[in-house]
Amino acid sequence: MMQIGVQTKNVVYDIHPEEGFSVLQRAGFTCADFSLNSYLLNTSLYQLERNGFFDKSIHELEKYFKPHKNGADAAGIKINQMHMPYPVYVPMANKELNDYLWKEVAPKSMMICAFFGCSYIVIHGCKLAHFLGSEEEEWKRTEQFIESIAPLAKDLGITICIENLYDSIAGHLVEGPCCDVIKAVERIDRINEKYQAEVLGFCFDTGHANLVGIDFESFITGLGDRLKVLHIHDNDGAADLHQIPFTFTKNRENLASTDWAGFIRGLRNIKFNKVLSFETAPVISTFPDLMKLDTLSFIAKIGQYFSGEIKL
Amino acid sequence: MNIICAPNGIVDIERSGQGITDIVKSGFRDVLLDVSLVCSPNELKNLGKTDIKKNIRKVRVSNNPSELHNSLIPMLDRCSQAQLNTTIAYAPYLERSSKDECYNQLLMQLAEESIKACKSAESQAIIIRPLFSGVKQEDVWLENKNYYLHLARIASDHNVMILLENQCRDLNGHLVRGICSDGKTAAQWIDRLNEEVEEERFGFCMDVGVCNLCGQNMYDFVLSLGNRLKAVILRDCDGHSENALLPFTCVNKAQPITDWLSLIRGLRDTGFDGSLILNFSDTASSFSPILRPELMKLAMSVANYFKWQIEIENLLKKYQSIVLFGAGNMCRNFMKCYGEEYPPLFTCDNNRGIWGTEFCGLEVKSPDSLLELPDNCGVFICNIYYREIEKQLLDMGIQNIEFFNDEYMPSYFFDRLGDK
Repeated sequence: MMQIGVQTKNVVYDIHPEEGFSVLQRAGFTCADFSLNSYLLNTSLYQLERNGFFDKSIHELEKYFKPHKNGADAAGIKINQMHMPYPVYVPMANKELNDYLWKEVAPKSMMICAFFGCSYIVIHGCKLAHFLGSEEEEWKRTEQFIESIAPLAKDLGITICIENLYDSIAGHLVEGPCCDVIKAVERIDRINEKYQAEVLGFCFDTGHANLVGIDFESFITGLGDRLKVLHIHDNDGAADLHQIPFTFTKNRENLASTDWAGFIRGLRNIKFNKVLSFETAPVISTFPDLMKLDTLSFIAKIGQYFSGEIKL
Repeated sequence: MNIICAPNGIVDIERSGQGITDIVKSGFRDVLLDVSLVCSPNELKNLGKTDIKKNIRKVRVSNNPSELHNSLIPMLDRCSQAQLNTTIAYAPYLERSSKDECYNQLLMQLAEESIKACKSAESQAIIIRPLFSGVKQEDVWLENKNYYLHLARIASDHNVMILLENQCRDLNGHLVRGICSDGKTAAQWIDRLNEEVEEERFGFCMDVGVCNLCGQNMYDFVLSLGNRLKAVILRDCDGHSENALLPFTCVNKAQPITDWLSLIRGLRDTGFDGSLILNFSDTASSFSPILRPELMKLAMSVANYFKWQIEIENLLKKYQSIVLFGAGNMCRNFMKCYGEEYPPLFTCDNNRGIWGTEFCGLEVKSPDSLLELPDNCGVFICNIYYREIEKQLLDMGIQNIEFFNDEYMPSYFFDRLGDK
C-alpha cells in the first residue's frame, strides 16, 4: 500500500494541532501536506497586504510550530510535503513587498520545512507572461527565484517542487506556468545538474491539469521520476474547486469527466512510489463538521483505491 | 495574408445563392470549401440509418462518396460566378464523441474525393483531421501516418497541400487535448510526413477554438509550428462548449474570454503570412437572415482587424519617419515595444500643460507642430479617441494619419499611468 496524505488546512489548527493530526490518523492517512501558505494568504498579497507572521525569527517560528510537529509525531503522521506561501512575486507590488517574499518568507519557509523533517516544498511559478510577453520570459523570473533558494534547499536536503498552474483570461482558466512537460523536464534536469543535487522536482496537480485539458498519462509519464509530490483533487473543468475525485460528470452516462484512468496509468508507467496526497481542503468545509472524519476517511479510501490500481 | 470566410451558418448548400452573395457583398474574396456542407458529422453519425424526415431523393454522400464532387458543383458554380475563391478546402469529419473505428475507411474515401474536388475548385490546400475514432492511443501516429501518406499520393497528383489540424478529445463530455494539440508534436508529425514524401506536401491549420477549449498557451503553440502553420481558424467560444462564434463576442465582465493577445503575439513573432479563416457559424446561424448582411460586414472588419494587428509593424515600416499623437499609456507602450526600432521624431498632445516637457524620451509638442512635418512622415494616433483626433488632424490638413493600438503589445509594464 502506498502512503496516503491530505492537506492539514481545515483539519489541523494552531490551537491543539495534535487533535487534527489524530483525526487524520484515524481517517486512514499516514502523511500530511502542511498548509504553510495558510499563514500568509495569496488573496491578501494580491491586495498588496501582508500580515507579520513571517516577521518572526526562525527560532520563534520553530517554537510556534513545535506543537504541530509534536502532534504529527504523536499521531504517526509524516509531513511529507508543504506549500510555500504564494505568489512569490506580485507584479503590482513595490520592491519592499517582493523583497520580503523572496528574502524573508521563502528562506524561512524552507527552514520550517526542514524543521518538520519534510523533503518537499511546493512553490508557484511567477504568473507574468502577460506583462513579459512569453512563458519563457516568465520562467526566467521563476528561475531567479528558484536560484535564490536552491543553495539552501541543497543544504537542507529539500526538493523545491514546481507545480502546473492555471491563469485566468476574463474568468476562463487557461494554461499558466509549468504546463509544458517537455520544458519542465529540461529545466528540472538543468538546475539539478547545476547544483549536483535534486533541488528541483515537480508537483502534478490533477485539478489544474483538468482545467486546461492536459493529458494526464503523457504528462506524468513525461515527468518520470522528477514527479515528487501530488495535489490530487477534482473539478468540473471550469473552476478550481478542489473536490473529491470522481465527483464530476458531464454526460448522461454519468461517467467521470476527469481522466482518472489516465492518472493511474501515468503513475503506473513511472512506478510512482511516493505519497498519494490529496489537496481537498475545501471539501472539509463543504461537508458538515460532524462528518469531517467520515469525509476524510472517504478521501483516504479513494487513495487506497488509487494505490491498488497503480500497484496492479 | 489571405482572409477566408467559412460558409457554415451562412450558405445553405441546397440553395447557396443568397449566402454566397452575402459573403461577397461584405467584402470577402475567399470562402472555405467546407465539404462537410454535403456530408455533415451528423450524417456520418447516422450512417446506414434511414432518415424518413428528410428528402429521400437526395443523394447521401456518405453512401456514395464518388458523388461528393457533384454535390458541390452548384455551390462551386455560384462561387465562380461571384468571383469568390476557394483557396482552402475542409474534408468531412466526425463528431468528437465518436468512438467506433468503422468510420475510418469511409473517411479515407471522403478525404480522397475531397482532394479530387480541390482541382475543379482550384483549392491549394485541404484541411484533413486525423483519424481518432476507435484508434488506440499507442496506434495514433502509425495509423495516421499511413492515412496521410496514402492521401499524399492523391494530393500530389492534384497539387494540393494537406493541412493537419489540432484536435480536442471528448472525455465523457469534457473536451480535453487530443491529437496534434501539442504544438511540438504536431510539428514533428508534419516534418516526418514531409520527409517521407520528400516534398512540402503537409502543413498545419491551427484551430483557435480548440486551443481555447483546452486553455492552451497559443503563443507557444504558434512558435512551435513556425512556418509549418499555413492557416488559422479564428473562432470564439466560452472555453467549455464547442462553438464557432464571431471573435470578441464571447466575453465576461467586459473582457474577451479567448486569449487573443497570446495568439496575435505568436502570429506576429513568426511572421505569419498564411490564411486567416473566420468561422462564426454559430453566431451567423443565430442571427436573423434579415440582419445577416450587417453581421457579415462586421465579420469582415473583424478579420481585417486581426490582419492589421498581426502586421502592425508593416505600418511603421511604411514611413521614412513617424510622430506620435498622445502622451499617455499608449505612447508609453509604443516606446517600450517599438521606440528603439522606430524612434518617433516627437509626440504631441492636446494638453497644453505638458507642451515642452519630455515623455518617455520624446519631446511633447503642440499639435500645430504637425504642420511642419517632413514628407513621408506618418502621424500615429496613440490615444483611444481615434476618430475624434483623426477629425482634428484632417481639419488641420494633416496627411498620413494612422492609428496605433496597444491592446496586443509584445509586452507590458507592470503598471499603468494613473493607477493608484
